[in-house]
Amino acid sequence: MTNMTAAETAADAVSALADAPILTLEKLDKRFGATHALKAVDLSFAEGEVHAIVGENGAGKSTLIKLLTGVYPRSSGEVFWRGKPVALATPYEAINLGINAVHQEVVLCPHLTVAANIFLGDEEMRGGLLDHRRMVRDAQRLLDELGFALPAQALLSSLTIGQQQLIATARAERRGARFLIFDEPTAYLTRQETASLFKLIRRLKAKGVTIVYISHRMEEVFEICDRVSVLRDGALVGSRKVSETNEADLIALMINRTIEQIYHKEPVAIGATILETHKLSGDGFHDVSIKVREGEIVGLYGLIGAGRSEFVQGLFGRHPAASGRIVWQGREVSIRSERQAMDLGIALAPESRRDQGLCLNMGVGFNINLPIFKRLSFGPLINIRRESAAADVQMRDVQIKAASRAAPVTSLSGGNQQKVVIGKWLNHGAKLFIFDEPTVGVDVGTKAEIYRLLASLLKTGTGVIMISSYLPEVYELSDTLHVFRGGGLAASHAYKDASHETILTEAIGV
Amino acid sequence: MSDTNIPRKRAVGRLDLLTGLTLLALLLAMWLALSIETRTFWSANNISNLLRQGAMIAILAIGQTFVIITGGIDLSVGAIAGVISMAVALLLQSHLGIASSIAGAVTISLAIGVLIGMFHAFGVVQMGLPPFIMTLATMYALRGLGLLISNGASISITNDAFTNFSRSSFLGFPWTDGTWFAIPTLFWMVVVVAIPLYILLNHSRWGRYLFAIGSNKEAARLSGVNVKAVTYLAYIVSGLCAAFVGILLAMRIGIGNPTQGDGWELQAIASSVIGGTSLFGAVGSVHGPLIGSFILTTINNGANLLNLNPFWQRIITGLLIILVVYFDTLRQRKR
Repeated sequence: MTNMTAAETAADAVSALADAPILTLEKLDKRFGATHALKAVDLSFAEGEVHAIVGENGAGKSTLIKLLTGVYPRSSGEVFWRGKPVALATPYEAINLGINAVHQEVVLCPHLTVAANIFLGDEEMRGGLLDHRRMVRDAQRLLDELGFALPAQALLSSLTIGQQQLIATARAERRGARFLIFDEPTAYLTRQETASLFKLIRRLKAKGVTIVYISHRMEEVFEICDRVSVLRDGALVGSRKVSETNEADLIALMINRTIEQIYHKEPVAIGATILETHKLSGDGFHDVSIKVREGEIVGLYGLIGAGRSEFVQGLFGRHPAASGRIVWQGREVSIRSERQAMDLGIALAPESRRDQGLCLNMGVGFNINLPIFKRLSFGPLINIRRESAAADVQMRDVQIKAASRAAPVTSLSGGNQQKVVIGKWLNHGAKLFIFDEPTVGVDVGTKAEIYRLLASLLKTGTGVIMISSYLPEVYELSDTLHVFRGGGLAASHAYKDASHETILTEAIGV
Repeated sequence: MSDTNIPRKRAVGRLDLLTGLTLLALLLAMWLALSIETRTFWSANNISNLLRQGAMIAILAIGQTFVIITGGIDLSVGAIAGVISMAVALLLQSHLGIASSIAGAVTISLAIGVLIGMFHAFGVVQMGLPPFIMTLATMYALRGLGLLISNGASISITNDAFTNFSRSSFLGFPWTDGTWFAIPTLFWMVVVVAIPLYILLNHSRWGRYLFAIGSNKEAARLSGVNVKAVTYLAYIVSGLCAAFVGILLAMRIGIGNPTQGDGWELQAIASSVIGGTSLFGAVGSVHGPLIGSFILTTINNGANLLNLNPFWQRIITGLLIILVVYFDTLRQRKR
């Protein structure tokens, strides 16, 4: 030991540095009044590591992100950046250190161009004026390097949500981020965009950037991450190398339940045909013929842009179909408006609960009762007691966790908000339910509850059309699974009569 | 069989009882301060004057609130009041049989108010125009139309039964200084408007739908709310209230002049906002704008009695708006 050469000592020092974590959390703790959101978490992140953090909603993941990006102050504990203690009191401090986050809700300016967004706050100047030409050129170069086939001059609003997220990432990279947090990055991404994102992540990793990857999608964790840490109820319950664990193990840590118990498929008697479409065609879809019967879940799977939403919008009367027939309970009908669809007995739980599903500043009770105010009325006036009772019953049946009937729905977690969106239709007496991405952005535990809700719906003799981009979910739950591709039906399957791979291939169309 | 673990709480989106009481307390505090400062404020005469003055803005503010709750705005209410005052005067002064009777003229004038409201809703719903633009346009156009018809002249109303109505009173009680306080009929008109509208807003499903539309039009539509019809309702209520005020105005000053009511729309909006209505929609009430309008009227009345430079009134009003809305923003954040 005493006779080490200078080279060996240097090599030792370098490898010691390389092993030293870039960020260490020591007993990081956060309380919000009575809520103990994060319980003395000890965690460290190495340079160039892709580190997944998984856990149910409410487990503390978003609190952790907000503490690391300087949005919230911590209650107690230490954070060490490259060995030195840091306060992370403001977002500015975090960004200066090199800590950036890319969120699910893109925080960019839709009215500005891609180039303008990339350089926002950090514009290139020439002689006191904005150097537009250079910014566009540099932005385009950055986009091309990253493999995004996007024009720098395009308006951000003309890009899909997935593409906008990629721009947010490009922006962070340009800012010299050394520590990048991705919060549910693939929720709204197409397969191709996800591939681009993963390519980007690998590139950043090679540059020594540490990536924190927060996702509910296990297959992605196992595809791209090196380590995975599990949070449950604010505490760190496990941290493993990805190669030394599996999905079942992680889920067990997350929720103390097995995978079989999540996808709850009860045998339900299939009854009469509720809806039949014959070669229905319209804007964005063509020749779609499906059938929905009582007690049946019909799943619509496909890539984004495959035509599922367009078909459903045609069915629901938003953009009435141009040709083809719709047969409702044996009668041929023509659905030209949403009102008509609703009067027939079709209910829609839309894709974006924030934009289309909820009156955010109103109370839980208000939202849950919105479709049935007429029934709660006595003539022109509302029977307040009936209104309150109905809300209470619904909230209890669907197990909505909220402070009270009057609590604004913005105060609910994503999963509970989704339960409000679904729950408000349960008492409506509709015959056919269309659920557009019912569990997007919802944690595993609440997903299981929503699946149970769907099952209980079916028992009352209704039919369900479920659009989902999450293959495991639509695979486990659909009695009939239709695969959409390019606006038409690529294939139709009975319950689990083909493998995941087959269905995926049909959706991609290789 | 309701779950007793779920606490009873007044619904979100409607003005808390607390806010209403706070506003009332503010109003009474102002009255108290003014009574101490001047001898003439707390007389039966002055208070009944105050009630008469505030009545018209109060009715405008309540109607305006219906539109603001849906996320829109009605800038034309002052113009409507002016034009309708001219219309009712015109009807009363011509010899058109039933149309020139008080009942006939009032009915036709109210109907015109409904039509104007429907026109606004048509622009907003069918043509897709922003409410600000639509009602701004009619604000200008209506006055122009009125001036065209009246040729710039005022129309004197000789129907004494009509004009005496505004000076009359109904019921009363002994005042603190021994005189009799007669409640002006004009104030009763506020009550006549406020009670049914309160019931409509808070106890009927259309009231709920108004809030739903203001909160999230798309979600309301997908939940089965007839957004178009309910929007028509909001603008019709506002137009109707404005027309009613136009009639009361004609009664009060005895002439019909389309240039009357200038700036009243802003006072109505200010009253509504002071009363707790959110300009972003989905938050509002009937009692809030009512109290808010009387707070504004008190400022005007008190400033006059204190011989305060009238320009100070506008500054005070402006500051009050900032303060009230600021406290409301704080309270919203705490939710």
